Amino acid sequence: MLFNSKILFLPLVLAALCSTTSCKKDDVDALPTIAAIAVTNADFSTLEDAAVQGGVAVVLSNPNPGDPSGDYTVFAPNNAAFARLGLNKGDDLAVLNDAFLTNTLLYHVSNGNLAGSGITSGSTSGSALGPVRRFITRGTEQYINGSKILATDVKAENGTVHVIDKVLLATGADIVQSAIALKDAKVFVVPELSFLVEAVLYAELAGALSAAAGSPSFTVFAPSDAAFKQLGVDLGVALNIPADIRKLPKEIVTAVLLNHVIADGGKFTSELNGGTVAPLGGTNLTLGAFNNGTLTVKGNGNTVVANMVIPDVLTTNGVVHVIDRVLLP
Amino acid sequence: MQFNHLLLGALSLLSLPVLTQAQSPVSGFMNGKGEGAIALSYTAEKYDNVFLAPTDAQGVPVFNEVNVNSVSLYATYGITKRFNAIVSLPYIQTHGHATDVVLKELGFENERKGVQDLSLFVKYNPYECKVGTSDLSFIIGAGLKTPIGAYKVEEGLQSILAIGNRATSINGLAIAQLRTKSGVFLATQAGYSLRNGEVPNAVIGEIKAGYGSSRFYVDAWYAGQISDGGVNILGEGFQGIFPATDVSYTRAGVTLYVPIAGGFGISGGVSKYLTGRNVGESTGVSGALVYKF
Repeated sequence: MLFNSKILFLPLVLAALCSTTSCKKDDVDALPTIAAIAVTNADFSTLEDAAVQGGVAVVLSNPNPGDPSGDYTVFAPNNAAFARLGLNKGDDLAVLNDAFLTNTLLYHVSNGNLAGSGITSGSTSGSALGPVRRFITRGTEQYINGSKILATDVKAENGTVHVIDKVLLATGADIVQSAIALKDAKVFVVPELSFLVEAVLYAELAGALSAAAGSPSFTVFAPSDAAFKQLGVDLGVALNIPADIRKLPKEIVTAVLLNHVIADGGKFTSELNGGTVAPLGGTNLTLGAFNNGTLTVKGNGNTVVANMVIPDVLTTNGVVHVIDRVLLP
Repeated sequence: MQFNHLLLGALSLLSLPVLTQAQSPVSGFMNGKGEGAIALSYTAEKYDNVFLAPTDAQGVPVFNEVNVNSVSLYATYGITKRFNAIVSLPYIQTHGHATDVVLKELGFENERKGVQDLSLFVKYNPYECKVGTSDLSFIIGAGLKTPIGAYKVEEGLQSILAIGNRATSINGLAIAQLRTKSGVFLATQAGYSLRNGEVPNAVIGEIKAGYGSSRFYVDAWYAGQISDGGVNILGEGFQGIFPATDVSYTRAGVTLYVPIAGGFGISGGVSKYLTGRNVGESTGVSGALVYKF
């Protein structure tokens, strides 16, 4: 009788043990990987989608083979950061060329652990893509390029995550080649900056805006295609296709373009302030107050300010801010 | 005596279908020689969260929400009253809810379906005894489970929708079941599943309590699996190969069976994942038509 009871309870205990311990394992001290942080944090859902589409989700699940520590540092844009670019959900990422998306993600990643305490104003950090990122202190806030660092030192099994409020963008090419990449749909799947590229070629400014040994770097306000079409409406000239730019006098186009370029070494929004700046040609531009990572800009001949559609794009010879109006001298 | 006869008859009727894949295919009830049952069951499960380690994910990556519908054929047969055979074969359809744009971008599809794994089990009841007025029986079981459909498991994140893990497994288990005169029973089982390929072996266990009479049968069960190794999805070592993941969980459910007439009966059940890792946090309902002979 006693014997039988014991036999009965043995498997009972075993089964109970199996059932109750199945999820304990070694999770107590385990950290999620960087990929798991993106997948399990609701505020990184667009980043999650981008990592899946860009093919880096599995990479960021594993130790970094390229660093002795096995770790990565990732500056992770939150959902609001993607929303600034009109990327509100996974579907919206389809507007981006796949290679550009992957490169953009790699620009957020570097080898080893860069602790929040190691981020100092004026220092730089290399990226897995290649181009460096600059750290900038503005008031009490820290920025990487034009992106504000919202939170630091989220520990992951394979590295460190810092949260940022704006997607980091770098083309790895100079201003002219970057614009051409946009025109050729290598950034967005539909062409952009087509009118600007046509205008630069027409005005024969390609050489001046291309990177060369010893050449200066610039801040460039780059009007979108919609901006040029709006200009056509404002001037009463049909600017329907890029070649229509050539309907305008070359010297005027040249003067207008030079009104968009500032030879200041290339500044991110985090380094710009309200006030006037002097472009290469034309008249002073007026910048509005710095507001949540963006500034308005207005040419002397404009009645309406231009807004930054895509701020803070790093090129090899400066920083480009895509704007929604042409700046008139 | 008459009562006991009826009761035992009803109980043996109910060595019946395991309606969900999570339950052990082997129960603590034995069929008499030449007796058996055939069941056709349908199960619908849904999950929109995933148990990941160490933190759960709200929303299934890529697919947002996943529905799993399955139709299973299940049969038990008493070769002798102490030696029974069990066979089951499910057809499974999984359906994700990724948007068309995401599907196009990733080259994925929202559906995977097909015949999954054939299970062949035998169980042997070597010993039983009386504990007071109750019957205590011990059963050992062994079985083979192997994929017979051509379903795929190594399609990267598309395999979130894979219908199985393509492992061939050899399973051994032991059951103890106590059955009172009143019809109440309590059964426990524990076993081990040896799996080939990259799929980790697993410890499996189940506790079941219920009541059976000639008019109806009801049980509540609590089952679990602990994988013996494996990686976590998006954890270190994860290479996008889902069969290699550490799938562990606990589930609970309730099953109700009512005989109708002429050997036919109907069965229904609900089940839910309670805890887990690397598995969908799913809830399911099932129903079955059962023929007992």
